[in-house]
Amino acid sequence: MDKIFVCAVAELPPGEARRIETDPVIAVFNQDGEFYALADRCTHGEASMSDGYVEDDCTVECPIHSAKFCLKTGKALTQPATVDLATFKVEVEGDNVYVLAPAQVAA
Amino acid sequence: MDDKLNVRQLVDAHKGTVKPAIYIDQDIYDLELERVFGRSWLFLAHESQLPKAGDFFTTYMGEDPVIVTRQKDGSIAAFLNQCRHRGMKLCHADSGNTRAFTCPYHGWGFGLEGGLSVVPLEQEAYRNGLDKSKWGLVRVPRLTTYKGLIFGNWDETAPSLEDYLGDMAWYMDGFLDRREGGTEVVGGVHKWVIDCNWKFAAEQFCSDQYHAPYTHGSAIQVLAPTPENKSDGKPLGDGQTQRPAWANGLGGVQFSEKGHGSAFFFTEKPDANVWVGGEVSEYFRETYPEAERRLGSVRALRLAGHNTMFPTLSWLNGTQTLRVWHPKGPNQIEVWVFCIADKAAPDSVKEALKASHARAFGPAGFLEQDDSENWVEVQKVLRGYKAKQTGFCVQMGLGFEERRKDGIPGVTNYTFAETAARGFYQRWVDMMTSETWAEIEARTKEYQKELVHG
Repeated sequence: MDKIFVCAVAELPPGEARRIETDPVIAVFNQDGEFYALADRCTHGEASMSDGYVEDDCTVECPIHSAKFCLKTGKALTQPATVDLATFKVEVEGDNVYVLAPAQVAA
Repeated sequence: MDDKLNVRQLVDAHKGTVKPAIYIDQDIYDLELERVFGRSWLFLAHESQLPKAGDFFTTYMGEDPVIVTRQKDGSIAAFLNQCRHRGMKLCHADSGNTRAFTCPYHGWGFGLEGGLSVVPLEQEAYRNGLDKSKWGLVRVPRLTTYKGLIFGNWDETAPSLEDYLGDMAWYMDGFLDRREGGTEVVGGVHKWVIDCNWKFAAEQFCSDQYHAPYTHGSAIQVLAPTPENKSDGKPLGDGQTQRPAWANGLGGVQFSEKGHGSAFFFTEKPDANVWVGGEVSEYFRETYPEAERRLGSVRALRLAGHNTMFPTLSWLNGTQTLRVWHPKGPNQIEVWVFCIADKAAPDSVKEALKASHARAFGPAGFLEQDDSENWVEVQKVLRGYKAKQTGFCVQMGLGFEERRKDGIPGVTNYTFAETAARGFYQRWVDMMTSETWAEIEARTKEYQKELVHG
C-alpha cells in the first residue's frame, strides 16, 4: 500500500471533497467530520464524484445523473448506477489527511 | 424603414394617439420578441443572488428561458435554458447551487461554463461519434452588470449598456447608489400571472403618476397616519410630511429618453410614501446626509415616484420594489417582484422594508391589486369588436417638453404628463421598424430633437 498525502484537515471542511490525481482518480470526502475515499469516476457515466453532493445520510450523489453511493461501502444505492464504487482507506495523522491505495494506484 | 406590420400607423407620438392592436395582435407580439426583446438590454438578476461559484438563477429574456450562473472564476455567465439535444428545458429550479446542469429528458450534462460534458451511453449509442464541443449551451453573448444589476442582450450589435441607458442612469443611480456598498435583494422573488399586455404595466411605471390619486385613492385614505394606526409605535408614514406631494407647491418632474421614463415630486424632506413603515422612513431620514453626499440633494430627497427602463424593468423609490414584466403572449404577463435594500441597512430595517414592500407591492399588495385590476380590465375590453378600433388618448402635457437648466437631465415635463409614455411608444415603434441599431438610434434622436429642439 502507498500512503498518499491528500491535504491538510483544515483544507477539507465538512460537506466538501478533494480529487486526488491518482490512477484511477480518487475522491476524498468529509462527511460531518468523518473522512471517506471512493473511486472518483461514477460507475454510470463520465462524472467526477468529487463534484458530487455530500449528503447527511453518509452518501454522495453524482452531480450529473443523481446516482447515490454509500460513502462507507461504495455501494451503488440508486439508479442509474448499478455498479459499486471502489473504496480506499483514509488515515488522519496530525493535521494531515492521507489515503491508502494499492501500490499500482499511485500519483 | 422596414415597417412590415404597419405599426407606424398604430402609434403617433407626435399627436399622442395609440391604436389598441399593439396590445392584442399576435403578429405584432411575435415581432416584439424578435425586434424588442431580441435586441434590448434585459434585467436578469441581482448580483447578491449569486454570491458563490455554482449559484444560479433562472429567468426569461422575452419568452426565452435563461440560466444565469456564477462561474468558478467569479464571473457571471448566462445561457439559453434549453438542452441542445432535443430542445428540453434544461434547468427547472428557480435558483440554487449546482456543479452541473443535467437535462431531465435524456440526461445530457452541461458544465457551469455551458460546455456539453456528459452524454449517457456515449460509446454504445453514438457509434457514429458525437462532437461534444459543438453542442454546448447557447450563451447570451452580451452580459454586463450595473451597480449590482445583471443585464443581458442577445444582440451583438447593440450599443453598450451605458449608451442604451443614456440619462436614465442618473435616475437609476438614485435608487441603487444611496449608500456605500450598494444594494441587495431581501427575501425571495414574488411571481404571479395576470392577463394583460406587458406594455400596460411597463408604460404605467414609465409615465403614469396621474393614476395614483384616483386608482389608489382608497389606499391613501385608509393608510393615512392616524392614532388607530399606531399599535406598534411605528405607524405607517410616521415622521413623514402628511399631505399629497403634488399639493406642496414645489413642483415635480417627468423624464423621458430612449424609451425609458421616470417621474417624481420635489419634497422638502426625504419623504418616502406614506404607506412605508415608520422604521423604514426613519432609516431614510437618518441616512439622508450620506445619500446627499453621494447623489446631491435632488436624488437624495427623492424617495418616491416611478421608473421604467425600456422595455420591462420597473422600480419605485422608497417602497424599493423592482419588477420585471415578463411577456407571455400578447394577453398575459408574469410579474416578478424583488425588494431592494441598501446592503448597509441594519437587519431590522431590512425586515421592516420587506414587510412594507409586501404589504404594498406583493401579489396581494393593496397598491399592486389596484394597478393589476386596471390593466386586466383594459385587456378584457379589447376583446370587443368596436373596442379594437377605438384609439387611446396619450396627449397629456404634449408640447410642454423641455430641457431643464438645473442639472436634471433628459427630455422633461411636469410630473403629471404623458411625455414618457409617448417616448416609450416612439422607441417601441423605432425598434419595431428598424433593421439596425444605427437606424433605431437615429430615429429616436430625431424624435427627441423635435420635442426640445436639441
